[in-house]
Amino acid sequence: MNEYRLGVDVGGTHTDLVLVDGSGGVRVEKVPSTPGNPSIAVLEGIGRLVDSGIAPGDIGFFGHGTTVTTNALLEMKGARAGLLINEGFRAIQEVQTGARETNQFDLKFRRAAPLVPQSRTEEIGGRIDYRGREIEPLDEDAVERAARELSRKGVEAFAVCFLFSFMNPAHERRAGEIVRRAVPDSHVSLSSEVLPRIREWPRLSACLIDAYLGPVLARYVGDLDVGLDARGIGTPRRFLMQSNGGVMPLSAAHGRGRTVHTLLSGPAAGVRACGHVLGERQGRPRLIAMDMGGTSCDIAFIEDGVPLEVTEGTVGERKLDVPALDIATISAGGGTVARVNAANLLTVGPDSAGAEPGPVCYGLGGDRPTVTDADLVSGFLNPEFLLGGATALDAEAAGRAIETRIARPMGLSTREAASGIVRLINARMADEIRVQAARKVVDLAAASLVAFGGAGPVHAAMVAEELGIRRVLVPPRPGAFSALGLLCSDVVHDYIRSEIVELGALSPERAESLFRALEERAERELSEEGLGGSERQFVRELDLRYAGQGYEIRTPLHGLDWRPVAEKGLAQVEERFHALHLRLHGHSAPDSTVEAVSFRLRVRMPMPRPELVENGVAAASEAGPGTARSVTFDGRTRLEAPVHCRADIGEDPTMGPLIVEQVDATTVVPPGWSAHGDGFGNIVLDAR
Amino acid sequence: MSVDPITVALLRNRIASVMQQMDYHFFRSGYSTIVRESRDFSCIVVDAEGRLLAAPWMFFHGPVYFHLVQRILALYGAENLREGDVFVTNHPYEGNMPHASDMGFVAPVVHDGRLVAFAATIAHKADVGGTVPGSTYGQATELYHEGMLLPPVRIHDAGEPDEDMMRLIAANTRAPYVVLGDISGQIGVTRIGREHVHAMCARYGTDTVVEAMEAMIDLSTEEFRAALASIPDGVGEAEGFLDHDGVDDTRPVRIHVRVRVSEGTLEFDFAGCDPQTKGPANLRIAMVEGCVWYCLIGLLDPTLRYGDGARRLVSFRFAERSVLSAEPPAPCSSYMKTCQKLVDVILEALDPLLPGRSIAHSGGSGGSIVVARPGGNRPGRGNQYEIFGSAYGAGEGADGASGVTVHLANLYAAPVEIVESEFPCRIRRFELNPDSGGAGEFRGGLNFRRVYEMLEPAQVVYRSDRAAVPPAGLRGGKPGGPSRFVLHPGTDREEVMPSSCRLSLDAGTAFSVQGAGGGGYGDPSERSPDRIVRDLEEGYVTPEGARRDYGVDPDAAGS
Repeated sequence: MNEYRLGVDVGGTHTDLVLVDGSGGVRVEKVPSTPGNPSIAVLEGIGRLVDSGIAPGDIGFFGHGTTVTTNALLEMKGARAGLLINEGFRAIQEVQTGARETNQFDLKFRRAAPLVPQSRTEEIGGRIDYRGREIEPLDEDAVERAARELSRKGVEAFAVCFLFSFMNPAHERRAGEIVRRAVPDSHVSLSSEVLPRIREWPRLSACLIDAYLGPVLARYVGDLDVGLDARGIGTPRRFLMQSNGGVMPLSAAHGRGRTVHTLLSGPAAGVRACGHVLGERQGRPRLIAMDMGGTSCDIAFIEDGVPLEVTEGTVGERKLDVPALDIATISAGGGTVARVNAANLLTVGPDSAGAEPGPVCYGLGGDRPTVTDADLVSGFLNPEFLLGGATALDAEAAGRAIETRIARPMGLSTREAASGIVRLINARMADEIRVQAARKVVDLAAASLVAFGGAGPVHAAMVAEELGIRRVLVPPRPGAFSALGLLCSDVVHDYIRSEIVELGALSPERAESLFRALEERAERELSEEGLGGSERQFVRELDLRYAGQGYEIRTPLHGLDWRPVAEKGLAQVEERFHALHLRLHGHSAPDSTVEAVSFRLRVRMPMPRPELVENGVAAASEAGPGTARSVTFDGRTRLEAPVHCRADIGEDPTMGPLIVEQVDATTVVPPGWSAHGDGFGNIVLDAR
Repeated sequence: MSVDPITVALLRNRIASVMQQMDYHFFRSGYSTIVRESRDFSCIVVDAEGRLLAAPWMFFHGPVYFHLVQRILALYGAENLREGDVFVTNHPYEGNMPHASDMGFVAPVVHDGRLVAFAATIAHKADVGGTVPGSTYGQATELYHEGMLLPPVRIHDAGEPDEDMMRLIAANTRAPYVVLGDISGQIGVTRIGREHVHAMCARYGTDTVVEAMEAMIDLSTEEFRAALASIPDGVGEAEGFLDHDGVDDTRPVRIHVRVRVSEGTLEFDFAGCDPQTKGPANLRIAMVEGCVWYCLIGLLDPTLRYGDGARRLVSFRFAERSVLSAEPPAPCSSYMKTCQKLVDVILEALDPLLPGRSIAHSGGSGGSIVVARPGGNRPGRGNQYEIFGSAYGAGEGADGASGVTVHLANLYAAPVEIVESEFPCRIRRFELNPDSGGAGEFRGGLNFRRVYEMLEPAQVVYRSDRAAVPPAGLRGGKPGGPSRFVLHPGTDREEVMPSSCRLSLDAGTAFSVQGAGGGGYGDPSERSPDRIVRDLEEGYVTPEGARRDYGVDPDAAGS
């Protein structure tokens, strides 16, 4: 039958499953995560679905989001890896960027421990110059000696990174062959495959991460495959979320430098869900995703259904410049801690009380007031339940903590202090959205804010107010929205090749041959992944800069004469670059030389999207007409806010103040805002 | 005061976020090597008196803005500043700029007829003329050798660019293309800063914003008062020496400080420093303030947020015309090496008062190198200008970090692949120097070495320090390895050069550049055997080094 599509998103505390049937009905299942081996929770959740009568053979699509590689990196639980590098260039890994990215006042600054220490780094003779010419041949004997020596030291994964391998990968490829022959079954990552892009440290960093985590991902995917087979889920359509917001076949997840594309995938699924469900399907052109959970808030921008992207990033303190959805994460969640400093100034964050001990009101031993405690004291949350009544909240304890630790030192009332915490955290999120919006030149007044995650819908309208945003959308299941994103993502692979060349000196033939080479690689890999011959789109892009600039602007070529590359296209792209530069930086220099630095190819294979039918959301409480709570937005004025069930929000707008409760979230509608339901099951909040 | 404390906290965060956004804009659009790969710039919003509400990313620029805005107010009068005005200066004495290569732009924010704030930015320029390419002339004996000098003058008049000024600047630089590009980027970010302050005034009311800024100043006083209270009353004293001033290489330059702590206020007495130098090692007060505040924040609480209210708690004493209180026409382009030495000395002086917090002397500014050549790979490019890192000194519980820009400098190394792609040279080696970290219970960080080979004839200008006077250890730790500059390294023509020099090199010449290592902390004999074994395995210490510095038999240690 193959009528079901299953999305499984593994989070820090919960593993969320979303099952969509052939007629678009949605089912949600939540199980506790199993950090030791995350596939256990995945299979446990599937077991529950099967127990409830879903035939595993009817599941025809499996989409998966996991942070297994991210966690292994942060916890330093990767493979024992070794490195081959040019003779005389050991310092690349030690010096890195030469700068300190952490607190610059830290006198005892130290870097994160290297993924591969110097004692497992071997120098290899041979050199390629900046034009890709060999100026010294590869010392093949040295490679073989190095491979055996490292193997003797227990190395199971090899990173190979030579200077200018993006211009000419011959030395790296040859070294890779020798290593594989000398140490069969070892994992080998070549920098020219992982990230063939200019600047040796980011390329080396990506290559080291790929080697360090390749075996980890291979083992995880192996376990999961076996487990899915054993549960009778026979579909070969198994996919893994990537940082770029696309998925890849599970079978392709290791090897060829793909591992590094999973590291920033955690928050990507939720943003994809926003892009597809609210952007593409519901036709909203400008969206800001605000995913506020227990410890942090993820912010992303979506234009015409397409999330904006970046090509430079970090994971923990590790540099990783692969394409990723442009998601800014700040420490603003329900568990974020508030305190008063030595000058009686209220500060919120950056630390979080996490899930344990959690906010004071959880009664799990937390004694530092948090954003959730302030939300409760402000009247936004229902003390009788959280997560469908599983937990009652101790409002009195929250009030006491805010009173003793915040209100008294500052000479405020408890409610004023609670409001202060809420205002400050809202302003923090607004500041970040403002910075990100200006960076990407997004007009906030024309955008809608999409609130999800447990705490998002509580704060979203207040954040919007601060930003002059006039509409907030709360999707039907804010708590399980991310898992839905796994079912509406295409297969997307990204390829890059650096070559610095003045645009004026670039011949259409040269450009065409560079793109063709990338397309051939893409075709080859797709057919190896069993996806050959399917419908697919190639998207060509150029990283351009003014001669002398150190960073490039990724310039899309769609709509121009770039397939095949024509003279006219070269002129068109230059104009497009000037316009983009003007838009992003406020000025352009049309008389200056423009250089191409990298050629990019994205291949996209569209996946069928589920048709969603909104069939009602479980009621969270028995709140009905007549129920109301006393709330405050400024700490002084008390307002009576009616409390509604989500199911009771109809198409006619109701004016705030208003509280809407459902099983996995609470939506706060401040005065001056109205709430109504739309045909897609969203709650729509409008500034009046 | 009617503004509520929550609004103050909220606006303070907002101003910091505006500065962050200005940084981002400028960084992404930077043209010259120094800006684009090294990020040698800062952006800021200060109040109507030039006082800092939040510190810029490049911290030591902070006090410059205060003195610069004060100077503009004195020159022009607050009542004569108009929206859309932009002032420019690169003057070390008129504007307290670090050196003539740094160019500052300051734009008043006038909302509803009221001067509310200034948006400003400082960035290093690839070339501002003067005796040598790149302008930072290590052998300058007068300010006038270091490039054109612009006292604070208007470059935009109520929104109208002054094209004459632009032509004047273009005519005084060897790299007009990159310099004008940077200037346009800098003026662009002051506009972004202004727009945000206007938006704040519109949202909260001008009175509230102005009152909140005053409250932020008071807050920073209180925050620092609380932090400084943890220092016991007493006196600390230390001295250190620069190799030389770049001109008279027979005389080390003495930097001396005596700190007196009394009930939470501090007096820094620099009267024991040498007189201002003939060569360009001189500082003005903004640089000294930057060093002092940097040290205090690092020692007391690295999360402290600087604001100019802190000025009320610390005082300074100088002798007239000393190396830290120079007067025109003393040159100052090598200011960073003096700043870095000053930081080492201040940290050492405060060590007895705050045991366990200070660290040994660092490798300082690893130095900078400018390579200029006729022609080049591509026309229209500036010179190759790189700034090197060095290494941190060790402290209680912490070995020093290796191969990194330290303290006040936080700069990006130019990638080998960028340097080779754009300039006619090849980098032959890029490696750490074993044994260059000062021995101690905790070891200093290691320096690194880059060996260049010129592919075309080139003029090379470099400035550094710590070849003659290596970074000192602390509490029994040994000094870090000295910096070293070698022509024709590894050949029989090998020649060691001074730490600051200007050379004309033929194609094919190799030149090796290495910064100094960090000083050690504590008695080397107290170092744990595990750490010694690990250092041997990782090649950070050689077997000979282990024997010499730690009295350890490497064969026995390894087993």
